[in-house]
Amino acid sequence: MKLEVGQELPELIKHPTTRQLVQYAGAQGDFYEIHYDSALAQGVGLPGVILHGLLKAAFLGQLVTDWLGDRGALKSLEVSYRGIDLPGRPYRCRGRVVRVEGDQVELEVWGEDSEGRRTTVGSATVELKG
Amino acid sequence: MSASAASVVERLRARIGVAGPPTQAVVEAGHVKRFAEAIGDANPRWAEEAPPTFLVALAPASLHLAEAEEYGKGWLNGGNRFDYFAPVRIGDRITATGRVAEVYEKSGSSGNLLFIVFETDYVNQDKVLVARLRGTAIRR
Repeated sequence: MKLEVGQELPELIKHPTTRQLVQYAGAQGDFYEIHYDSALAQGVGLPGVILHGLLKAAFLGQLVTDWLGDRGALKSLEVSYRGIDLPGRPYRCRGRVVRVEGDQVELEVWGEDSEGRRTTVGSATVELKG
Repeated sequence: MSASAASVVERLRARIGVAGPPTQAVVEAGHVKRFAEAIGDANPRWAEEAPPTFLVALAPASLHLAEAEEYGKGWLNGGNRFDYFAPVRIGDRITATGRVAEVYEKSGSSGNLLFIVFETDYVNQDKVLVARLRGTAIRR
């Protein structure tokens, strides 16, 4: 596999719904109400129910594992949540190669809301198979 | 910063480095399948191993800190970092142990924020550290 700095990963577009938030809450076991109870979410100053940060992390994990396939192993995934995201809007996951050193590859990854704002930013490192 | 906020921060700081009770859980095929469906990731690989963020579903990713809830009115997730040292496979028995790593306050545009950094170690049945999670929880 030829990897070069600047190379972009194939983007992954997710279409989260309120149903998915409930599904995720159950699968993770995170029952914080801001992810499914809009009255409670509004009570703490949010516009409505919002995506779990860790769901967005899972999307970015998929971005990397889809791209990597069986060519190597994911060694780290780091994300910062910079903005909230609402269900019913597409969530665009993107990434690019920022460093290649031997079998170690560093990626920049991020998630964009429907306005193009990077509401999640982060990085990942992968180790390629020899 | 109010006196009560100061005391919350002090009480939380006293817990830095103290390990919480370990949680043991088996990586079950059905649970991994439900998790993969919930995140919308149809990769057939998740029939054998756990997707990258699945560990948060095995055990609480943060300790329950009742005193932190005296601060502000809600939680926000600031960020997460996963470091992976070995694969997590279906059938593995994982022991998760969490601790508070850092506690600090910052002033934000709409008032003060309290940051609590949690670290969780995941160890498998062969006593291999498979992953470490660092998560920043924010009270606002």
